Amino acid sequence: MPKIRWRKWNNILHRDIGYLVVALTVAYCISGIAVNHINDWNPNYRITKEFISIPPIHAESRDEIVAQARASLRLEKEPRNAFRPDPSTLQLFFEDKTVSIDLPTGNVLIERATPRRVLFEMNQLHLNRPKKLWTYIADLYALALLVVSVTGLFVLKGKNGITGRGAWLTAIGFVIPIVYWIYYISF
Amino acid sequence: MLISMLLMSLAVAQEVPKEYGKPLTVKKPTKISEILANPQTHDGKRVLVEGPVVDVCPKRGCWIQIGSDKEFEMIQFKVEDGVIVFPMEAKGLKVRAEGIVSVTTLTREQLIEQARHQAEEQGKLDEFKPESIEGPKTVIRLNGEGAIITK
Repeated sequence: MPKIRWRKWNNILHRDIGYLVVALTVAYCISGIAVNHINDWNPNYRITKEFISIPPIHAESRDEIVAQARASLRLEKEPRNAFRPDPSTLQLFFEDKTVSIDLPTGNVLIERATPRRVLFEMNQLHLNRPKKLWTYIADLYALALLVVSVTGLFVLKGKNGITGRGAWLTAIGFVIPIVYWIYYISF
Repeated sequence: MLISMLLMSLAVAQEVPKEYGKPLTVKKPTKISEILANPQTHDGKRVLVEGPVVDVCPKRGCWIQIGSDKEFEMIQFKVEDGVIVFPMEAKGLKVRAEGIVSVTTLTREQLIEQARHQAEEQGKLDEFKPESIEGPKTVIRLNGEGAIITK
């Protein structure tokens, strides 16, 4: 009976699937770090604020207020929408910015939210925002990662393989999340 | 990969009208002003509302504020984190949104915590003044299930 060269096939699978998952692994790692720290920053948008002053606006009707604000700010483009959250504030919404005017003082805040190019897209894919087909692509990717990690255990034989040093390092990999979880539920 | 991601982002950004979450089932819209004026009669009821998107959760896209048909009024449309994600580009666009009206009374401490969280999300923690918050207060919002954003 011919001997099955399982290690050879194991290594071929590990190598070739490894190549296939590199791009998405890099994207998911970068996005993972970015999204992990969402309490400290906005991983999707860069928000810039600009403060300027215009003369106070004392008009009565909403249309007059909007017209005066646009004239003072020299905004030629028609806003998408205008809104007054309270009697002293007017908000004008444009495609690329939101202009908030404090009518009695004329203080203006111009806020722009620009997607962080590439990182935004990585986050969308990582958090499966597209849903639909991407759900299945992400499942396949997860399976591929599983194959890469399991075959990785058996790439080497000998003292650096899974029966030697590899066993210790793999055990550490299991112990870290288990110990942390026990700590987490205990305190 | 970078080029395909850029192309994808441009395609997503220009896609309007865009549907979020479950398909809308309620045909007749309810005025936001009516919900805010009579919250108890709408509490727990499924409604469809219409109006401009006047604010978006900047970090998670997990809520939008919808401007009312009356001035100085708006209502929060809150969705489950990650299930629906509203983009910041939705600001100023029109929305038809369906959800369940929720009326809750929050203590002053809860209101402060909520305001602090919101200020954190909006990067306005330096402007956050807990002493200016009064309570208890009745909070009316929609627990969102589906929405369509149009120009």
